[in-house]
Amino acid sequence: MDPITLQVMASAMRAVAEEMEAALVRSAFSPNITERRDCSTAICDAHGQMIAQSASIPVHLGAMPDAVRAVIAAGPDPGDIWILNDPFTGGTHLPDLTLVSPLHVHGARIGYAVSRAHHADVGGIAPGSMPAGTRELFQEGLVLPPVRLVAAGEVRQDVVQIILANSRTPQERSGDLRAQIAAHRLADARMTELVERWGRTLIETACTELLAYAERRTRAELARIPDGTYRAEELLEGDGITDLPIAVRVAVTVAGDRLIVDFAGTDPAGPGNCNCPLAVTHSAVYFVVRCVTDPDIPASSGAFAPVTVRAPDGCLVNARFPAAVAAGNVETSSRIVDAVFAALAQAIPVPAQGQGTMNNLTIGAPGFTYYETLGGGQGAGPDADGPSAVHVAMSNTLNTPVEALEVAYPIRVERYSVRRGTGGTGAHTGGDGVHRALRVLVDAEVSVISERRTSAPRGALGGADGQPGANRLNGARLPAKWRGRVAAGDLIEIATPGGGGWGAAPSPTDRSNGRRAT
Amino acid sequence: MSADRTDPAVSISVGVDVGGTFTDATLVYAGRIHTVKVPTTREDHGRGVMEAVGDVLAAAGVGTAQVARIAHGMTVGTNALLEGTLARTALVATRGFGDVLDLRRQNRADLYRLTAAHPPPVVPHERVVEAAERCGPEGPIVALEPAEARRVAEAVRALEVEAVAVCLLFSFRHPGHERELADALAEALPGVHVSLSSEVLAEIREYERAATTAVDAALTPLLGRYLARLARLTADAGLPAPQVMQSNGGLIDLVTATRHASRTVLSGPAAGVIGAALWARTEQIAHALTFDMGGTSCDVALIAHGEPGRSAGTEINGHPLHLPMLDIQTVSAGGGSIAWSDSGGALRVGPQSAGARPGPAAYGHGGDAPTVTDAQVVLGRVRSVGTPGRETPLDPQLAGAAVDRLAGQLKLSRTTCAEGVIRVANHEMARALRIVSVERGVHPAGATLIAFGGAGPLHACEVADLLGIERVIAPACAGVLAALGTLIAGERRDWVQTVLLRQGDAVGLGAALAPLIERANATLPGARIEVSADCRFVGQAHALTVPWPGHEDVGVLAGEFLAAHTARYGDADVRAPIEVVSVRVAAARPGEVPEIDTIAIGPSIDGPAAIAMAGATLWVPDGWTTRACADDSHDVRRHGTATAWTR
Repeated sequence: MDPITLQVMASAMRAVAEEMEAALVRSAFSPNITERRDCSTAICDAHGQMIAQSASIPVHLGAMPDAVRAVIAAGPDPGDIWILNDPFTGGTHLPDLTLVSPLHVHGARIGYAVSRAHHADVGGIAPGSMPAGTRELFQEGLVLPPVRLVAAGEVRQDVVQIILANSRTPQERSGDLRAQIAAHRLADARMTELVERWGRTLIETACTELLAYAERRTRAELARIPDGTYRAEELLEGDGITDLPIAVRVAVTVAGDRLIVDFAGTDPAGPGNCNCPLAVTHSAVYFVVRCVTDPDIPASSGAFAPVTVRAPDGCLVNARFPAAVAAGNVETSSRIVDAVFAALAQAIPVPAQGQGTMNNLTIGAPGFTYYETLGGGQGAGPDADGPSAVHVAMSNTLNTPVEALEVAYPIRVERYSVRRGTGGTGAHTGGDGVHRALRVLVDAEVSVISERRTSAPRGALGGADGQPGANRLNGARLPAKWRGRVAAGDLIEIATPGGGGWGAAPSPTDRSNGRRAT
Repeated sequence: MSADRTDPAVSISVGVDVGGTFTDATLVYAGRIHTVKVPTTREDHGRGVMEAVGDVLAAAGVGTAQVARIAHGMTVGTNALLEGTLARTALVATRGFGDVLDLRRQNRADLYRLTAAHPPPVVPHERVVEAAERCGPEGPIVALEPAEARRVAEAVRALEVEAVAVCLLFSFRHPGHERELADALAEALPGVHVSLSSEVLAEIREYERAATTAVDAALTPLLGRYLARLARLTADAGLPAPQVMQSNGGLIDLVTATRHASRTVLSGPAAGVIGAALWARTEQIAHALTFDMGGTSCDVALIAHGEPGRSAGTEINGHPLHLPMLDIQTVSAGGGSIAWSDSGGALRVGPQSAGARPGPAAYGHGGDAPTVTDAQVVLGRVRSVGTPGRETPLDPQLAGAAVDRLAGQLKLSRTTCAEGVIRVANHEMARALRIVSVERGVHPAGATLIAFGGAGPLHACEVADLLGIERVIAPACAGVLAALGTLIAGERRDWVQTVLLRQGDAVGLGAALAPLIERANATLPGARIEVSADCRFVGQAHALTVPWPGHEDVGVLAGEFLAAHTARYGDADVRAPIEVVSVRVAAARPGEVPEIDTIAIGPSIDGPAAIAMAGATLWVPDGWTTRACADDSHDVRRHGTATAWTR
């Protein structure tokens, strides 16, 4: 395919995925989708290969094709839209409701549209469906295997009613689901237009060519990494049930223009909810691949074709039904990212470790649930300091403004500041963490899911480590993962970790000579 | 407009817009639109402004004594923000929250380039002073003692700044502490500009309010100096002091503009949309998309039933600016966008741009990267830039050489490569236009594209083809439409106040609205007052802005909100309680809008054809036909559609 048509097709396919997302974000009901954009959309070819994805949150990267495969296996018909959230059949964690629809033009199947949105409540033991300390999937919410949400163009109200009956916020779910369905109908119309404009053969050829294009570019980038097998280990600070460390072990093999990422030796799935289905592990690995290759390469199945991910059945990063998984998506995914980066650091320059946690905080009492994640320090890189007070890996959602928080909840924020000096020193300094102190004005239940409270984000090539984070209740330290009751007037403080520094800091002598030791 | 050319009693208005490369001026006299384009004088924009005004008066044969009004759009603020050349500014914040500008909203700048940084905040944390005080939603929790206010003022004085921004928590509702600090600062630092967040933007959300206030403080001294210089130049020339265009599409007097610079930051793009709206209204177009393509970027806006869409804010180069403004989206694609071959063998265009300097290779300023403009030159669609009589020729040999290098890499012929560059650029812009319209609830296929800017009319028809759009209008003076927009704009002021009240609380809402309406009437006597409100169901996080006609009746507001909610989300719960987050009041006085005659008088010209317009070239591709209108604009229709010109 000529270089012009190739780019024109890339733009056209990306436009369909982006238009789906725009339609979803515009007409969704919940702030998690409209404001924080915790959603993704994609177009796949007739074989389920992802051709184009809207630029959105990394944790959905690898998991979209898995959802399409699960639906293909179930045998969809024209006019269907399927829904699923089962982490062990195409899903990630339960709040992520994924819709998949086959796309037919003039009777021929040309591909699939897929949308994934984080719904604010799908039932389970705690509001928000992101509980700390669960032991099995059933405690985390309604489990949906792939089922028809729309059959022959008609919305199946019976299925909708089951979903709504299992949510604490049914009206919001109804609005968000309707927005997702509308996005799929739009994809149908746009793909029909494309086929009518260009012809089915050209569209099918373009899909093949675009996959090959992304694969070619990724392989060219991977080929620059020195061959070898690089190993690393990362420890989780417990899983909410046990406080014992849980190991993620990885061997990353670079063989020419291929990458094999093998998690053999990783600890078995734990009793708590830090377990990952393989889809989340895929996403975390692909995130690192995008960071170390050119992020300009389209996020398609082609880009990930040179990457093989292996994980022993039943281990922490390839958990088996019915393991609890709510925190695997948010915390273990960060450990996987750190482990794969640490392995690759032996071959190429990569940034020092960032805060490596999303610092999930939930405060709830009858009448309200407040949930948010907090930014921290990013690791420094070979040519730049690490940014401070940002999300560093698989999430990039916004904070809750202090004023919005105090208007909505019986909570007073006493401090929200940068923890200056918590980033590791070095030729380039790691980013600083943040300090958020909240006085809870009523008796409430609190859940904290965090990491890097005892172990520090590591510096790179002589750069100093960042400072670990800390969780405190009235000044007393809490563990990394904690659930308990607080009384009116209690003070919860979350101090998030700083990122590691990069390269040895210039010594005072060097500085006086005006030289920089890098 | 049957004015006698020699009648000294006829008063003339002049519109002048300063862009990155050119300063444009326009005036309407004796039924004709006169335009000029001169190079922007970067060291002092005032010189270019005076030259453009002088030239356009000469072109129309009008004396300075006849000029009653000058309306001015500019880029002083935008440039200062992009280049970081801001006044040395301090920030005063609530104790415990001095890092508000560093914390931003915690999202990182780039998903996968992990060390990519946001631009540094307008005020570095070394110049932040925390005040021991605190308000909550219900009012003061920690009082601001007079001694503390004095201590803060002294601490700020030690920082030796030109401007101070003050942003305290909950000041949008309880502005007392900010006012007390303003008094203390005025006493300790006479002559130093102070911006209070409760005056700049009385809206909830501390980061956006603080960042906007910081921008306002840091720009105001610069803009004040520029406007003062300009006022001297116009006075020396016997001309009136200019009115200044704001981001909201309305003009304010020079003195008011001098006090709050943040309002005028996006005056140029807003003026272009106001200009385009004249054609949308005259032609009674239900949905028009504006397509303002220049050298480095492309601005897109939606005009529904003649009214440009409005938004509550935007971001410029990573700095949030949350103020009422026209809803304009910027796409980084322009005539200067560079074409290249990526490592996968695809032909790409942008986001790198050759900018104004060196600019496209064809400009002959030493640029050698092939740009979109160079591709147009290679295809012979454009030969020069500038207004008639002042054209700068483009060099086809330099353009050809630049395109040849890329064509060689891609193993394409020169012509195929040039066509490819334009096709790829058009697809990128069509993609952006699609998202912009879908995000605003409009499908582009039924819309009309109004194309302007130096490069807009060159690309518009082919972009329209990709979007299923059947009609393109290239207004007269498409190359200087922003200058015309400033000329015809009315005066407008906006106020917003967060109230967080139940919709049924008529007394509370009335009490909140009264001072805003009073202020609006006092500021622009006789103006039309528009009231709207940001509403949501209690418990929702996101509000919808809905008009509130007859703003005494809270029942009307509920009706408007339920209708807007149904239109957006498909339904609305009529029993659920409604909360009013903020009320918005605007005072608007219409401008002097010339009548334009858009009747098609020219013969049908079938594409392919390149048509020279004032300051722009219109490209009519195969499958399209254009007719010139009485006012020199062009009305281009696609063949085989309901509205097609008969050929």
